Amino acid sequence: MRVLVIDPDSARAALVAEGLKGIHPLEVRQAAVYVAAEAAAFAPDVVVVACDSPDRDTLESLRDATASNPRPVVMFADRSEPGLAEEAVRAGVAAYVVDGLAPARVRPVLEAAMTRFQLMQQLRGDLAKAKADLASRKTVDRAKGLLMKERGLDEEGAYKLLRKLAMDSGRPIGAVAADLLTFAGVLKGDGQ
Amino acid sequence: MSAKMGSADLKLGFIPLNDCAPLAVAEAKGFFAAEGLEVTLSREASWATVRDKVAVGALNGAHMLAPMILAASLGVGGEPTRLVTPMALNLNGSAITVSKALAQALRRLDPDGVAARTARPLARLIAARRELGSAPLTFAVVFAYSMHSYELRYWLAESGVDPDADVRLVVVPPPRMADQLRAGLIDGFCVGGPWGALASADGAGETLAYAADIWNDSPDKALGVNAAWAEANPEVLQALLRGLLRAADWCDRQGNRAELAAILATEAYVGAPADLVARSLEETEIVFHRRDASFPWVSHAAWFLSQMRRWGQLDPAVDIAAAAARVYRPDLFRTAAAAVGMDAPDRDGKLEQGFGDGRVFDLAAAADYAAGFKITRS
Repeated sequence: MRVLVIDPDSARAALVAEGLKGIHPLEVRQAAVYVAAEAAAFAPDVVVVACDSPDRDTLESLRDATASNPRPVVMFADRSEPGLAEEAVRAGVAAYVVDGLAPARVRPVLEAAMTRFQLMQQLRGDLAKAKADLASRKTVDRAKGLLMKERGLDEEGAYKLLRKLAMDSGRPIGAVAADLLTFAGVLKGDGQ
Repeated sequence: MSAKMGSADLKLGFIPLNDCAPLAVAEAKGFFAAEGLEVTLSREASWATVRDKVAVGALNGAHMLAPMILAASLGVGGEPTRLVTPMALNLNGSAITVSKALAQALRRLDPDGVAARTARPLARLIAARRELGSAPLTFAVVFAYSMHSYELRYWLAESGVDPDADVRLVVVPPPRMADQLRAGLIDGFCVGGPWGALASADGAGETLAYAADIWNDSPDKALGVNAAWAEANPEVLQALLRGLLRAADWCDRQGNRAELAAILATEAYVGAPADLVARSLEETEIVFHRRDASFPWVSHAAWFLSQMRRWGQLDPAVDIAAAAARVYRPDLFRTAAAAVGMDAPDRDGKLEQGFGDGRVFDLAAAADYAAGFKITRS
């Protein structure tokens, strides 16, 4: 079975292609953009496409068999499992298959792709959170430094004060620290 | 002035096109906020994804191709899904653009035909190319179930060009149209603004006809919402319609056009140069609110279904008038219009006129209409 992965996000496409290798004796190709001539040469049985790819609309139009497209495609939605198509949309992936291909052969492909899409989303989310955490820690350190200088506190005292402010206002300590720095900046005239 | 919706949290999708204006303006100018609505607009990359996300509830509603809402509701080209159209988003707004080389060839062949904005010169060129054994010309639309597809087909067929036999029709995403035209992958396309103006501005293409030439004040995009969500959240839906109605009204006020172009031009919405957006708004004669542009005419839905029937997309057993009335919901529109003190037609459908070929469309005779064209699969 030949699977074509269309995804403008090349890192994610590579992850999907990698994930598919294990499940079948199949051939996987990946491309950022759907090109009709390339697809015709490869003649995929399944096209896995990212929902954020504009090429989905082109794939939708291949439903009717024509001279240039003798193998009509359908969007894969396994009726024996009603939630599957919905889950795929939410994961951000769709699959188009050559009409008549057995659902049992397509499902593992779609499921593997969905898992990789979710994994990628989680990885990106973790990275963004790690960056935010790091930024927040730097902000807290700078706010502590400010309090130590302005209030003559030691490091532990400065941190305790920040923590108290955070608890009193019910907000994250990073946000309180950022406010404190902004406020200090405004008093010094940096805010203009 | 507004009903508080509490934690009303709405997700709406759109595609970067001029006719997403009512949604963009409702967000940018605070018409959603004035209704107490917290709306997240999600810029999507394909119509298929817009449809699927609304179908599964990942989006509550979206800026959609009006015929796509009907196709999805009837299960044409996929699984049936329950969507409703409580409001239209625009009239006119699209254009048929061909490569500069093709436009020049057509003008040499039949300058009057080009000036009359018909496909007659194209019919002659296609006949000549056939004699020579040349490959068919390729035209692109954005989706099989779109005004652009039916507009291009109507225009071609009116001059005797069979869109299924005499040219090759392909689907290309709007932002890629100009590039593909320049690269020679397609010879022409029909798309909503500003993408036609973009191709003209960079010298790759020339616009031959506008939607208004083929059918003046023709429908195009509509608000499509998930029917189950609409039934469960009638008040939120009404607030959404009120916000969009005020936004559509704002879009049509002459003094606001420069600001509208500037809003649409930003990356958050269309992402194209503001002067091109402004030019495209003007050239395509797009209407957002005047002349009942926002009203979801059941006769518009029936016309789309008549074209689906004409081109063999719709099962002849489908009762067009009944199907149109099931999806288009002027009743929901009237409630919202009354709440904001705007007039709304009291009829659900009208005799559709303004076609370039002088025909009229009566929704009670939709099937006969579909069968009455010289080129038809019905």
